[in-house]
Amino acid sequence: MKSKKINPLKKYKHFLIGMLIVVIYYWAISGTNTSPTNFVQGLPFMADFVSRMFPPDLTNLGRFMSKAIETLQMAIVGSSIGALIAFPLSFLGARNVMPNKIIYHGVRTIFDALRGINEIVWGLIFVSMVGLGPFPGVLALAAHVTGALGRYFSEAIETVNPEVIKAIVSTGANKIQIVVRGIFPEVKPLFVNYSLYYLENNFRAATVLGLVGAGGIGMELITSMRLFKSREVLTILIIMILMVTIIDRFSAYIRKKIVNVEIIA
Amino acid sequence: MIKIRNLTHRYKNRNEEAISNINLHIKKGESVVLIGSSGSGKSTLFKCINRLIEPDSGKIYIDGKEILNCPIKKTGKIRSNIGMIFQQFNLLERETVLTNVLNGRLCHTSTIKTVFGRFLKEDYEIVRNNIRRVGMAGYEHERIADLSGGQKQRVAIARALSQNPKIILADEPVSSLDPKLMKEVMDLLKNICVEEGITLVSSLHFLDFAKRYSTRMIGIRDGKIMFDGKPGELNEKNIVDIYGKTKDWYMYGKLGF
Repeated sequence: MKSKKINPLKKYKHFLIGMLIVVIYYWAISGTNTSPTNFVQGLPFMADFVSRMFPPDLTNLGRFMSKAIETLQMAIVGSSIGALIAFPLSFLGARNVMPNKIIYHGVRTIFDALRGINEIVWGLIFVSMVGLGPFPGVLALAAHVTGALGRYFSEAIETVNPEVIKAIVSTGANKIQIVVRGIFPEVKPLFVNYSLYYLENNFRAATVLGLVGAGGIGMELITSMRLFKSREVLTILIIMILMVTIIDRFSAYIRKKIVNVEIIA
Repeated sequence: MIKIRNLTHRYKNRNEEAISNINLHIKKGESVVLIGSSGSGKSTLFKCINRLIEPDSGKIYIDGKEILNCPIKKTGKIRSNIGMIFQQFNLLERETVLTNVLNGRLCHTSTIKTVFGRFLKEDYEIVRNNIRRVGMAGYEHERIADLSGGQKQRVAIARALSQNPKIILADEPVSSLDPKLMKEVMDLLKNICVEEGITLVSSLHFLDFAKRYSTRMIGIRDGKIMFDGKPGELNEKNIVDIYGKTKDWYMYGKLGF
């Protein structure tokens, strides 16, 4: 019988991992001043801040509402532009459709670059390029969404069942016909899902874009905060929550209509 | 109709040849049934004929014209003359019967028309006629996902027929159906091919089925042809050659000896 020498490192593996986790948390918490005492000490100030927010100030409701609608418009236009650009490109970024590796990698790199930069940062860039207002916001959303949807679309195309596509190939269809009549119908529900998800996502992103001057309700939020109009801040927050909820419900409804969900069990 | 010379193909990362040195001459109007264990090379042979696989060496002629190593544009034309039927039907599950069968007309439709989803009136007539022919009239707007296995294979047959093919390749067309549907679908396929003069090459696992629906049987083992003759000529020795020795012959169906 062979006697196996137990590696001491292996024996204390769990202990060492535990120690490592403790060290990481200590390092992260001490670096951010997160502590229960700080939280408790801050409670009266939080209570004070919240109490100053009540009751919500409705004098500027009309302006806030029109800004909220502008935010929604930004989200709709930005998402649509992004989806429209991502849609054709995503076929070039799918390995099963695009055999040319240079084009495939090129398109994927563009997606990564567009997606890698946050909407807010895109907002800053486009504000300095085309000036203040909702238009740079739209461009910022479109840029980020092109990258994000492009990647998701491409990956959806790559997961299509090759056997089903082979059947279309075997009818003698050309490449474009195969994409239009074979691949597209298979990925359509996923495309709809992702696009609607990004519409919701973009509405949330659009609310912050105002902070950098790229239009939408965020601009009102930062103004009211800077002027210590806490009661207006609450009004704006309520509007934001309501709109996000409405959009969530709306896209869930659309998805249910378009994608046939088969309930399991 | 189909002439195959010294056809050999080996898949990447595999040591054995999937098909090795196949020589075949299939005449117009024949109903050839390939038999052999799973992995014996039947599907590879089908895919080579339909240009879904580019074989390593050998030649394939259809109507006297060589089909391998030809430009992509011609490949479409070659494929359009060959209807293909699959074990798993390979239909677009979320789309309707009509949409799926219309895909059989793609080779006769321009790219621009396809992009806008337009088909000629004539295409619709052909498609509706074929749907009626396979007994699926009235189901045109049903989704494939809502159909049974036998119905799905009927739709797949209608799709293949809509290509106006000269040849139909059926790769285990009834392997996922129950015995009653197996007979129904094979009867349908055979009768249509006889009526239209379409050359039918299929692969079947049950020997009594293979005999019933073939004018010629070809047995394949490890990528090589072990038997090639009339169904009546198949004897016990041939079957051992094709499948190897086993005590459980009853599982292969009635052998007739």
